[in-house]
Amino acid sequence: MANEGASGSEASAGRALRIEVRNLSKTFGSGGGNVPAVDRVSFDLRQGEFVALLGPSGCGKSTILNMIAGLIPHSGGDIRVDGTAVEAGRVMPQVGYVFQRDTVFAWRTVARNIGYGLEIKGVPKVEREARVARMIAQARLKGFENAFPLTLSGGMRQRVSLMRALIMEPQILLMDEPFGALDTHTKLEMHQILLEMWERERQTVVFVTHDLSEALTLADRIILLSARPGRIKEDFAVPFPRPRDAIKLRETAAYGELFAKVWHSLGEEFAATKAE
Amino acid sequence: MSTNSIVHIGRWGLLAFMLATWQWGWNLKAPLGQIGLGWLVPTVLDPYFVSKPTLIWNRFLELGCLALPRGGWAWNDPQGFLGCVWSPKGSLWSHTLATLRNTFWGFLVGVSSGVAVGLLLGRSETLARIFEPYIVAFNSLPRVALVPLIIIMFGLGDVSKVVTALTLVFFVVFFNTFEGTRSVDRDLVNAARFLGASDWQVTWTVYVPSALAWVFASLSPAISFALIGVIVGEFIGSERGLGKIIIEAEAQLQIADMMVALIVLMVIGVALVLVFRAIERRLLRWQRHHAERAQN
Repeated sequence: MANEGASGSEASAGRALRIEVRNLSKTFGSGGGNVPAVDRVSFDLRQGEFVALLGPSGCGKSTILNMIAGLIPHSGGDIRVDGTAVEAGRVMPQVGYVFQRDTVFAWRTVARNIGYGLEIKGVPKVEREARVARMIAQARLKGFENAFPLTLSGGMRQRVSLMRALIMEPQILLMDEPFGALDTHTKLEMHQILLEMWERERQTVVFVTHDLSEALTLADRIILLSARPGRIKEDFAVPFPRPRDAIKLRETAAYGELFAKVWHSLGEEFAATKAE
Repeated sequence: MSTNSIVHIGRWGLLAFMLATWQWGWNLKAPLGQIGLGWLVPTVLDPYFVSKPTLIWNRFLELGCLALPRGGWAWNDPQGFLGCVWSPKGSLWSHTLATLRNTFWGFLVGVSSGVAVGLLLGRSETLARIFEPYIVAFNSLPRVALVPLIIIMFGLGDVSKVVTALTLVFFVVFFNTFEGTRSVDRDLVNAARFLGASDWQVTWTVYVPSALAWVFASLSPAISFALIGVIVGEFIGSERGLGKIIIEAEAQLQIADMMVALIVLMVIGVALVLVFRAIERRLLRWQRHHAERAQN
């Protein structure tokens, strides 16, 4: 557990603590066949930080995210969101979650998918429609308001999922490899949309990914996890200026340098996964 | 020639061939018998067993009050027609109406209770485990064997028919709704929860629409089952209905009457299934195969 929390947090020091993770552990299975997936992970997130959890597949990064979200119970340690201990199965209204798999409701049109949360909350129709229209414009989905998801591409469906979460104005956004299934071009488009949204709203974000360029493009800070069982290996600050341009950023020298540095560390973990 | 026209010609040709065989097939028995080919015409073609299309048509006109008992045609004598339709001994239409009404109620009550119980047990693992042995036991009992008991309990009137139909319909719909509810994608449920949906809202906005495809898959068989239940109920004991026409025709060997009732039943069955397909296409238009069909 190297220099945990040491680098990324200078800029945000002094801001309110949103997520505290202390000695978080998870073992799957019961009895003799226990498999440790996450091993004593600790980190803090302050208001407005965009953190990427990066690691090889099977390192437990999604497991950590799901424990923070309260989707699965943790086996050891402590998680607090805004000072309150997280309980599995209890929904926190300030938290939005975007799944890796496409989870749009197939029986609702694009507009009714995005407006779902507002509908549930009982927001009046006129206000709901205005807010949905704004989201649709931002997601570049104009003209598809009344389309059913089966007629959309994977990228468009994931944009619907993203907007469906964002319209609720969550202060904390948890994202589980949301663009993992998309091709490179579509991914870049999604990065640009997400950057625009985030740079305006500055939510606190935990973004799980195994794609280093994605982590560097989006995040302020990269928490690198070791191969299974997941431990924090290194904590990198990503000091690129904002607003960022998802495409131009990759041409800069600073990007190349940091890429090489993190890549080296990540490479060791890929090797470790392979050796298993 | 396109495949479509071949199919159409084939269909109509087959109908014409079947009707012709039915009408005149038996007449060939004697001439063919003289050259030793009598076996080509099976005995079931004997009008004694299967009647003839022309005889059936005549009985249809009479039973349907189109040819009036006091002479003349229904379209020249509307009052005579109404008097015949609602005469105390019943007409084809009053019997059909009775069967349809009982089918409708049996279907409606069976489907709604099947969907409600299916959703309830699909959402609650504990309830599902409590009820499982009873449901399995009751479902393995052939429902037709219950009809005499149902008639003793609910009488010769309409209620016993409705109850018979609904015991058949309930289980088909219940099992499908139950499976549909249990196979709902967990991630969709979690997504709805993160967006603030309560248990009840999740049921209504995620479970119900996801299970709807399964429910609809059970509705065509449910319609057939409702009709079966009502007809069997009418066989065993009733005052009216198409089943009663059939069972009386059997006793009196009035095969043409029986055929009229059978053909009406066939038309009802087809019409009901078509109606439900149309409703299904509208409600499930978000599904791939329905969307494609709509585009064609």
